[in-house]
Amino acid sequence: MSDPQPPGPVPAVSLDKLLARLDDAILALEDSRPFARAGKLPRLFDVIRRVLQQPEGMAAIESRAERLEQAGVFEGTDWADPSILLPALTTSSLQSPNADTVVVEALSELRLLAIARGEYLHDGFSAEQAHHYLTQVLAINLGLLFGLTGEAEREQGKLALISQGLVQYVASHIGYEQVIDSLIEEIWRILEQRPIQVEPVRKMITQIALCRADPGTDLGGAGLGADRLISSLYGPTRACSEDPGIVVYQQRLESMDSLALYNEATGFARSMHDTGLVSPYHAVFIRFVLEEEEALVTEALGLSSTGRDCLLCYRELVQTLLREAVFPETCQGIYGLALLLERGILYQPPVAPALWRQIRLSLCPEARERLQLAFGYQPQPAAWLLQGVLNVLGQPLGVGQGNNPTCQSARALSMWAYNDPDYLLQMVAWAVRDNEIIMHFEGQPVSSAESQAGVAPEVTLDLDPVSLVVVPHLDRIYAEMGRLCLGREGDPHRWVNPEFHGWSSGRGFAINVDVETGQLVELETFIRHFYASYHPYYNGNQPLIHPQPAGIAVTDSAARFIGWHAITILRAALDPEGEMRVYFFNPNNDSGQNWGDGVTVSTSGHGERFGESSLPFGQFTSRLYIYHFDPLERGEPADVPVEELQQVIARVHQSWGKNRVPSQGLQAQPGAAD
Amino acid sequence: MTQQNFNPEKGYIALLGWSLNAVEAADKFDRRYVVVAPDWAQEYCDKHEIPYVPWNFERLNDRSFEIAQTLKDMGVDVAIPLFEETVEWAGAINSVLMNNPRLLGQAMLLRDKALMKRRAQLGGIRVGIFEEAHDREDVIRFLKRVNQTLLKLDGDPNDPIHLKAFDKAGCLGHRVIRTPDEVDSIPDEEFPVLMESHLDGWEFAVEAWVHNGKIRFLNISEYVTLGYSVFVPATPDLEKYRPQITAEIEKLIKTFDIEFGFIHPEYFVTSDGTMYFGEVAYRPPGFKVFELLERAYGFNAYQGLILAFDPKTTEEEITAFFPKEVVDAKGYAGCFGVYPRRRVVSRLEMPEETENHEYFESHELTPPIEETVTKRTAFGTHWGLIYFFGDDPYTMRDLLKHQEDLDFYV
Repeated sequence: MSDPQPPGPVPAVSLDKLLARLDDAILALEDSRPFARAGKLPRLFDVIRRVLQQPEGMAAIESRAERLEQAGVFEGTDWADPSILLPALTTSSLQSPNADTVVVEALSELRLLAIARGEYLHDGFSAEQAHHYLTQVLAINLGLLFGLTGEAEREQGKLALISQGLVQYVASHIGYEQVIDSLIEEIWRILEQRPIQVEPVRKMITQIALCRADPGTDLGGAGLGADRLISSLYGPTRACSEDPGIVVYQQRLESMDSLALYNEATGFARSMHDTGLVSPYHAVFIRFVLEEEEALVTEALGLSSTGRDCLLCYRELVQTLLREAVFPETCQGIYGLALLLERGILYQPPVAPALWRQIRLSLCPEARERLQLAFGYQPQPAAWLLQGVLNVLGQPLGVGQGNNPTCQSARALSMWAYNDPDYLLQMVAWAVRDNEIIMHFEGQPVSSAESQAGVAPEVTLDLDPVSLVVVPHLDRIYAEMGRLCLGREGDPHRWVNPEFHGWSSGRGFAINVDVETGQLVELETFIRHFYASYHPYYNGNQPLIHPQPAGIAVTDSAARFIGWHAITILRAALDPEGEMRVYFFNPNNDSGQNWGDGVTVSTSGHGERFGESSLPFGQFTSRLYIYHFDPLERGEPADVPVEELQQVIARVHQSWGKNRVPSQGLQAQPGAAD
Repeated sequence: MTQQNFNPEKGYIALLGWSLNAVEAADKFDRRYVVVAPDWAQEYCDKHEIPYVPWNFERLNDRSFEIAQTLKDMGVDVAIPLFEETVEWAGAINSVLMNNPRLLGQAMLLRDKALMKRRAQLGGIRVGIFEEAHDREDVIRFLKRVNQTLLKLDGDPNDPIHLKAFDKAGCLGHRVIRTPDEVDSIPDEEFPVLMESHLDGWEFAVEAWVHNGKIRFLNISEYVTLGYSVFVPATPDLEKYRPQITAEIEKLIKTFDIEFGFIHPEYFVTSDGTMYFGEVAYRPPGFKVFELLERAYGFNAYQGLILAFDPKTTEEEITAFFPKEVVDAKGYAGCFGVYPRRRVVSRLEMPEETENHEYFESHELTPPIEETVTKRTAFGTHWGLIYFFGDDPYTMRDLLKHQEDLDFYV
C-alpha cells in the first residue's frame, strides 16, 4: 500500500494487447461447447472489465457487442431478453461491488447502444426501443452521469469508474437533451437541501446551459424549467441577464443610478434565496456597493429584520468579511454570510472575536497546499477558507462528507457549526494555523499530528474548504480514540461519541446489535427507551435540547443492509399533517434516499428546514442501531403502545435485521422464519 | 449437448475421471468418447447429453472387472486416466480391453512411488537415496543417516529430506523435514511415506506423448518455484539439455515398457548436468500445464492424449497433429498458484502491477470464504491460478518469481 509503484519500468498493458486478449476470449467462448460455456465466462468478464477501464474501452466493447451476444454471454441470465429489462434495476447493478455484475450490466448497455445506433440489428429489440430504454437509464443514473457519488460508490472502489464512464459514454451518444427534464427535477431536489458544496450542481446546470446554447441540439419542449437555474448562475438580474461577462457588468454598474442599483440588489437577493445558488455577478455587485453605496449590502444579502439588525451591530466585521472572502470565484460565501447573520450567532460573545481571528489567521503550508490543490490559486487560500467558514456557519446542515468514509467527522463539524460555533472556529484555527488538533479522551490528550492513519486512507478534495482542512485531523483523532477503546467489550462509539462530539452528547448509550455476533439484541428495550427519550408523547413533551449523534443501518431500495452510518438527530416534532417525525442531519451528500420497504427519506414537504431529512418516528426507529441519551432523564418507556413497537420490530426484521435475528428467537416463534 | 460427429473408423475412448476441459476437447475431436466418472457427474452429463457411465473409483476391488466388461461390451477401445487415482483403473480396464495383462502391472508400478524408483534404478536410471518409512522412528533414522553420508558433523545444519505419500499426485502430502523435532508434526495417518534425500538441483517436469513406443511430443516445463509456478516452453538455459532429457525419457519408456499414452516425469538436473529421476506419472499434469501448452502452441493437449492412447491412430495422423517443440511456440505461457500470505484475509485484491502487466492474461481466483487462513504444513493446495503469456522467457520467469512477494488476499 505504501509503495504502489514497483521499482523499475514494467511493461504496462496497452489497449491493443488487451483487445487481442479480449478477442481470444470471445473466440474461446464461441468455440466452446454449450456445456462448457460457463467455464469460459470468468476469463472473458475479467478481460472486459480491464478493457472498460481503458480510455477507449467503451467503444471497443460496443463494437464487439453483437459478437459477444451471439457468443452467448447473456445466455441463461435476465439480460438475455432485452425486452424484459427494467431501467430502474440498472442503478443497483452499476453500484454493485461485484465486478461481474457491473461488467454484465455495462455490456448490456453497450449492446443496447449499438442497437440504438443501428449498428446491430437485434431480433427481439428495435433501435427505438433501445433508445427509449437508454434514455431512462441515463435519467435514473444522473448522479453517475455528473459524478455525484454516495456510499455505494465508495464501497465499489475502482469499479465505480466503469459505471461512471459507461453512463457518460452512453450520454455522449444518446444525447443529454433526452435526460434534461429529469435532470432539472434532480437539481431542484438537491438544491432544496441547500448543500454547501454546489460544484456538482453548477456542473449540471452548466451542462444544461450548454445543451440549450448548442444549435445542433434539438431540445424540443425539454429544459424549459431550467431557466431559473441557469439564470441564478449566469444572469440573475436585468443588467446581467444576457451573461455579458464580469468586466462589462462592472462598467454597467458604474453608470447606474440608485434605483437601478437597488433593483439589482433585490434581484440578486431573490435569486439567491430562491435557489441557494450565488452568481459570480453577485460578488461583483457586492464589492462594488461596499465602496459606493453601502446601504445596499443589506438588500443584496436579502436580510430580514433579524439579519439586518445583526449586520448593523457588527458592521465593520461584516464589511471586512465581505472584502476578504467574497470574490467571483467564492461567491457562494455571500449566501453563507446572509444565513449566518439571520441565525443571530454573532450575538454569542465569542463568535465575533473568533471571526476576527479567522480573518487574520495565517495558514500553515499544509493547509495552504490542500486548499490550492482543490480550488486553485485565485483568490488566496485564506479567502477560500473564509468563504468556507461563512458557509459552514450559515448552513450547518449543508456539510457533506464528499466521497469519503468520514461521516463521523462531517457530522461533528456540522454539529459544532449548529450548536457551538465558537468551538468550530477554534478547531479551524488549530487545524489551519497549527496543523494539529488536540482533543482529550477520558483525560488523555489525543493529537491529530501524532495519531496514525484515520478511517479514510486519503481524504479526497471534493469537500467544502473547512472540511477539506479540518476533516483529515478529525478523522485521525476519531480513529485514534477508537484504537484507545481496543479490548473494551462492546461498541466503541459508547465512549468515543461523547468524547469526540462534546459534552452535550448524552452519556447514556443504547445499541441493539451485539458487537461480537452481529445479532440483534434487546430490540424491544432499545426501541422503548428511544421513544421514552426522544418522542414528545413519551418523554414529557420535552423537545430535544442538543443535537445527538446516532447510528443508522443504511439499507438500499430493496431494504438490504449496506452499512453503518453516522447521523445527527436534530429534533422530533409533528409535521404539517400531524404526524410525529424525526428530523435529522445526514452528512452524506444527498439525504433523499429510498431505504426500501416503504421507508423513503424526505427532504422537503414535511416541515423540513433546509438540510434536514425526516422520517416518521417509527420508520426512523426501524433503521436506528445506536443512540445516546441522558440517563437522568428517562421518560415513560412503558407507555409506548405494543402495536407501534411491533410495527417497528417488524420493519427491522424485514430489512437490515433479516439475518441478525438470534436463533433462540426463531425457535420461540417458528413462524417468523418465513 | 454434444455436437460431436465422430469418425467410426477411429477408436472409441473412455475418459476416466471428470474434467470439463477434457470432455470439451473430446467432444470437439473426431473420436467417439464416453465419460466414466462418479455419480455426482450424472446430473450434469444428463442435462448436457454428455455420454456417461457412472463409476465410483475407490480402491481396485472385486467389482473392477465389471466396469471393464461394461466398457468392453460398449465397444470401447481404450481407457484414458485423467487423475492419479484413476491410473490403476485405466491399467486394469485396458488390460481387459486390449487383452494384455501386463498393463495392469505397469499401472501399479506407476502408482507406487517406492516401486517406481526401484524399477527406475534397475533400468540404470539415476535416482536419489530413498527409503520407505512406517513410523516417525524410521524418519529420524533416515534423516540422520543421510546427513552422516554427507559427512556433516554434529551441529552442522542438516540437509533436508523430503517426505511424500506413495500414491498422491504432485505436491499433495509433500513435506520437507530438516530436524528431528519437525518429525513430530507428521500426523499418524500419513504413514507409510516415501523418504528421499534432497537434491540440490534444478527441478523440472516433462510431458511426453508416446505412441508405438516413440516420443511424439516432448515438452519441458520449467518450475520457477516448486508448488508455485511453471511455464512452457522452458528458458534456453534448460532447453539446452533437451538432447540429454530426450535420452533420459527414452530410457524411462524402455524401463517401464510404455508402448502408448502419456507420461509426466519429474527430474533434477544438477550443476554438472547430471539428471536425477524424481518420479513419473501416467496422467495429465496438475497446474494446468495442458492449458498452458494450448496457449503456447495452439494444439489441444487432451486431443493429443486421445491420439496417443487410441490404438487406431495412424503414424501420419499423429505426426501431423503435433507441432515442432519450442520453434513452433507463439510465446511463453506460465501460471502462478496463489497462496494467501497473511493469516487473516478479508478480500481478494489483484495487485495493480500484476493486473497492468502486459503479460497478465487472466486469473481464476475467487473471494475468500473464510477469514482465517489455515496454516500450511505440507505444500497444500493453492487458492487459484493466475495466467501469463508473453514473448520473453526470462521476463516470464522473473515475473512469476516476483508474484511470490505480492499479496492477492488482504
